[in-house]
Amino acid sequence: MKGFSNRWKDFPDYILGITHEIWEDRQLRTLDHYYAENIPMRFPSGLAQGNAGVIDGTMATLAEFPDRQLKGEDVIWSGDEEVGYLSSHRILTTGTHLGNGAFGEATGQKFIIRAIADCAAKEDTIYDEWLIRDVAGLAEQLGWDPQEYAAEMIRREGGPENCVRPFTPDQDVDGGYHGRGNDNIWGARYAGILTDIMDKRMETIRTRYDRACSLGYPRVMFDHGWDAAELFWLGLRSSFPTAKFEIHHQIGREDPMMPPRSAIRWSLTGTHSGFGTFGTPTGADVHIMGMSHAEFGPFGHPDGTIRREFALIDEVAVWKQILMHTGDI
Amino acid sequence: MKGFDERWKDLPDYILGVTKEIWEDRNIASLNQYYADDIYVRSPASFVKGNRGVIGATMATLNEFPDRRLLGEDVIWCGTPETGMLSSHRLLSTATHLGEGVYGEATGKQVRYRILADCHAINNQINDEWLVRDQGAIVRQMGWDAKQYAVDLIEREGGPEACVQPFHPDLDEQGPYRGRGNDSVWGNAFAHILSEIMDANLAIIPQHYDRAVTGYFPGGQELSSTDGVDSFWMGLRAAFPSATFQIEHLMGREDPLMPARAALRWSLTGKHDGWGVFGRPTGAEVHVMGISHAEFGPWGLRREYTLFDETAIWKQIALKTG
Repeated sequence: MKGFSNRWKDFPDYILGITHEIWEDRQLRTLDHYYAENIPMRFPSGLAQGNAGVIDGTMATLAEFPDRQLKGEDVIWSGDEEVGYLSSHRILTTGTHLGNGAFGEATGQKFIIRAIADCAAKEDTIYDEWLIRDVAGLAEQLGWDPQEYAAEMIRREGGPENCVRPFTPDQDVDGGYHGRGNDNIWGARYAGILTDIMDKRMETIRTRYDRACSLGYPRVMFDHGWDAAELFWLGLRSSFPTAKFEIHHQIGREDPMMPPRSAIRWSLTGTHSGFGTFGTPTGADVHIMGMSHAEFGPFGHPDGTIRREFALIDEVAVWKQILMHTGDI
Repeated sequence: MKGFDERWKDLPDYILGVTKEIWEDRNIASLNQYYADDIYVRSPASFVKGNRGVIGATMATLNEFPDRRLLGEDVIWCGTPETGMLSSHRLLSTATHLGEGVYGEATGKQVRYRILADCHAINNQINDEWLVRDQGAIVRQMGWDAKQYAVDLIEREGGPEACVQPFHPDLDEQGPYRGRGNDSVWGNAFAHILSEIMDANLAIIPQHYDRAVTGYFPGGQELSSTDGVDSFWMGLRAAFPSATFQIEHLMGREDPLMPARAALRWSLTGKHDGWGVFGRPTGAEVHVMGISHAEFGPWGLRREYTLFDETAIWKQIALKTG
């Protein structure tokens, strides 16, 4: 890989390797090298910029969860040395709540959640990033109701007027990565499936998902079957029935030893105007950053069906936008 | 497929199709056609010969769980239509306990559990079978403890003398299938890993498993990462440290749209003479019938599905201790 240290044999090796170095080997200052000085990091909870903040954030997280581990479940990637690589890294993150921090006083609770990080890299450095953690799953495992945790964040940050604003497109800055992914057939198929679902063609789940599919969603590490897929996608769309669905980045890959798979970054932008996962409609304006990974298999459709899907949104950031609108904290 | 009805395009299609036809489409009578009259069915709970009881048992299950669904997660197979094929079928079953039956009075509880079924198919029929159902998951979801369920079952079946004897190689009979699998590199790799673990070389786990592995284990346990895999296998082997581990059948496959994968049937036979997941050592003679599926990826073994029947093991222990 041109421009990268020659100890990385390929791009996934680089992503998995530096994650291990930073978090588990505690080499926080390698971020000076691996992260660009002005890197924009878009979390659903807000926009952060610059690697100095990343180092401090990493330290705060390690103080709260000293045994935190990050295990890479997959790296689905696109690009090259010229336009830059984009890696969609699905991570299993585990730890124990042993220190005081963002989740309050230490509870001693263990947690396991997933996160997906889309990182753009060039010449050994990550310079543009989108990151979704299952904050609702983490909050729940530490004893919080996700909605109540969002309310607590607003209170702690000084109320609806002063609190940190969750990420919305108007805050975005140009970090330098302008790729849209690749044109692999599996990315196109997954994009087609998600677009159909968001077009309210809900039969798509029964025709394009394996009936024994394995699923991971916010707050749900392991679930199965059409009903669970419907509960997530239909419940989400139903809360925001008129919101605009957009696909921002789309990757498909066929790699040795792997089933065909796809990574898609998408968003829903609009009004909380329906009954669904997010309760009684409030009319709040909401932006939802979403990322999903799919593995395809042969059963049930000539173009293959989704055998495993892992989709994430940050439900706490969604609740925060709703509660900032209603002021009901 | 020679000898099979032409509507089945391959063995997975046949296995998935027949299962749906019998259970979900309610054509239970088709078992007369799909199961050989003298079929051998081995499960950890018993050894049964012949097709006669199967239809009755299927109806009893559907009476107890009317909405039972059987979702086929995978079919890993070997052989040819002419010489016979062995399918290792992994199913996820969901059901509601709405009727009285072998699990007692209806509880209204929803259950979800896996099944691994090794079936020998030839001439459009299944005539030899090994079936491991995750009984530990079923009974726990109904509010039982696995040990307590086994003790209660012995009583309900008329006591230690009269109750149904759990499967043991001494009870076994040679059925029509004599194959040992295929010689795929993936079957051999998985057999090597499990053999090393059973030789107490648990260091092989971080070497050969993906560190973000997901393991699906008895009792409906879903354990993440190599620590989870280690704790599962350690707990089993520690309970039976001197038992003989044997690979009974191994196969592997590389198929389009699928990761490389393997299916093993194995057993542990010997004494319950260690502290592990089965509590205080009792010296009971135990046979553990196990079936495991693995999917491999570029960073090692990425997904493992292993089942044995905890209630059948507790039954063997309880039969010894009274």
